[in-house]
Amino acid sequence: MTDFLKKILFIDLIKGLSLTLKYNLSKSFTIRYPDEEKWLPYQRFRGLHTLNKDAQGRELCVACELCAKACPTKCITVVPMEDNNGIGIADRIAKIYEINLVRCMFCGFCEDACPTTAIRMGREYELACFSLDCAKADKQRLLAPQEIPVEFEGGYVIKARLERTKEGIRVRPDLTKKKRWW
Amino acid sequence: MDTNTCIELALIIIKVIIISSLLFALPIPLTWIERKVAGHIQLRLGPFRVGWHGILQPVADMIKLMFKEDIIPDKADKWLFKLAPIISLVPIFLTFATVPVGDKITVFGKEVTLYISDMNVGILYILAVAGIGVYGLILGGWASNSKYALFGSIRSSAQMISYELALSFAAIGVVMVTNSLSLVDIVNSQKATTWNICYQPLGFIIYIIAGLAEINRIPFDLSEDEGTLAAGYHVEYSSMRFSFFMLAEYVAMVLMSVLAVVLFFGGWSGPILPPIVWFVIKVSAFIYFFMWVRFTFPRYRYDQLMTIGWKILLPLSLVNILITGLFLI
Amino acid sequence: MELIFFYIFAIFAVSSAIAVISLRNPVHSAVFLMVCFLQVAAIFILLRSPFLAAVQVFVYVGAVMVLFLFAVMVLDLGKERFGEHLHHQSPIAIIIIIGLVFVMGLGLAKAKLDAPIGKYTEAAMAKNTEVMGELLYTKYVFPFEVVSLLLLIALIGAIVLVMKERN
Repeated sequence: MTDFLKKILFIDLIKGLSLTLKYNLSKSFTIRYPDEEKWLPYQRFRGLHTLNKDAQGRELCVACELCAKACPTKCITVVPMEDNNGIGIADRIAKIYEINLVRCMFCGFCEDACPTTAIRMGREYELACFSLDCAKADKQRLLAPQEIPVEFEGGYVIKARLERTKEGIRVRPDLTKKKRWW
Repeated sequence: MDTNTCIELALIIIKVIIISSLLFALPIPLTWIERKVAGHIQLRLGPFRVGWHGILQPVADMIKLMFKEDIIPDKADKWLFKLAPIISLVPIFLTFATVPVGDKITVFGKEVTLYISDMNVGILYILAVAGIGVYGLILGGWASNSKYALFGSIRSSAQMISYELALSFAAIGVVMVTNSLSLVDIVNSQKATTWNICYQPLGFIIYIIAGLAEINRIPFDLSEDEGTLAAGYHVEYSSMRFSFFMLAEYVAMVLMSVLAVVLFFGGWSGPILPPIVWFVIKVSAFIYFFMWVRFTFPRYRYDQLMTIGWKILLPLSLVNILITGLFLI
Repeated sequence: MELIFFYIFAIFAVSSAIAVISLRNPVHSAVFLMVCFLQVAAIFILLRSPFLAAVQVFVYVGAVMVLFLFAVMVLDLGKERFGEHLHHQSPIAIIIIIGLVFVMGLGLAKAKLDAPIGKYTEAAMAKNTEVMGELLYTKYVFPFEVVSLLLLIALIGAIVLVMKERN
């Protein structure tokens, strides 16, 4: 009997319609990337690697090659060299430190293996480009500080704008304007 | 011919031009609105990149459609294949000859009626002529010489036969209450009393359901069911011919909304605001309703469609006529 | 003015009727049949009977859909040969056609083609639907009921035939 009443009064249909109406009037979840907004990942995010320096600006990497050993895809190449000029924290620094980003699967094992916390996964994730030379991250690129500082708390949608330059397309974030996603 | 008939003739021609250009232009904002409604119901934003909030998206789509290659399948019946989109488009435009958008207004001291002609068989004419539109679907599907298209066209013909009955019977209830087949008279009689929805709630529900089926929209768009038929009757069509089908579908949606407003919701009558504004508000509410339904309900299965049509809607509409008759006596 | 329109509609109606019987493709014939019916409906409007015109479109043009379905479902369009179906019928057919033309010609010759409108004035003709409804339920109520009974019998007959097949 209740089933019959439900049918003739279109209860189920009205329930469905009211739900979609509610959704229609509520705010949408779309992030307007890349034109206006960008997703800022959490600090635990595993993006493009970065080589850290200590407080005096010395390279933390001692070229122990543990990261290269730990890497499951063998995409890290480390060639050590001796150096007494105080570039690194010890007298052994990396002559070449190269990550093949095409092969890297961003598992974060290198991070775990590193005894000096030199290599860390950053929060850069726009790694696509028009040529293959950006598929390799050399030491210089890894040492350069990333756009989003490590201390900056993630999990926000931040204002951003699309920039077309000769080097390619970039989404430049504006860290001052942030909001929670939901 | 004296000057008065000349003016009358010129007026009719002007009205025809205005209404048909309006109908050609209407699907442009309607596609945008439909995609926006779809987006927001699914918690997306819909088109956003072309113009302000993507408002130029339909224009971009139109340019894209125009420059697409016009493909005619080799084994298609060429003559009917070319004719079918036109058959689906023309009758739907013809129906607007009797659709009133308002009563008389005075322009430059001359009374101008806001409809092309007030036939005394208005509602019958609209239902009959709108029924011809389905031949476009059927012939197009048959002429494509494709299995999917043929299935789509046969489905749509069966659907049309079963739902046109219920739709007409639902309209007959209104005709019995208002004692006239003319749409203008129907609106005027509602002005005198209350809206017909108060007398014909069952008729209205039947009308809306059958109307959804008649204009081939979800949940009854079995003839263009993507899941089972690829695209149904227009699977072989491309370019402008395809857009003719789309145009006809949107104009049919407008027609169904207008008819619902005229038959059940008092047409252009309403307090304070001018009549034409009321009319537009009511019609757009119905158009929104059709879109809202489209993005809420799943498609019915084919046997369910037939069951609803023959075993539920048709007996119900007959009962509706009977009850109306009893009350009138 | 009206005469011009009448001739346009009449020419289209007759030529499409000829196309219906002369075209080889049944679907093309069905389309032309539809065109013919539409022209007849237009002529009904010229005769001040919009109700008949609307019903003509509703019933006859709507019925072409069924015809179309027959053509698609039952006939094998690719292999259909019309000549083979005439089993020595042509002499009989010609005799019947001559007879039909003779009877129709006799009727046309006797009838007054420019008959007056009758007892209904222009104003009454504008209320065509009401007049027709009233006549149907007063003067012609017996034929009307007979026809509806006939239709009901046909309806039940169709259902019975289908049910028998299912069992």
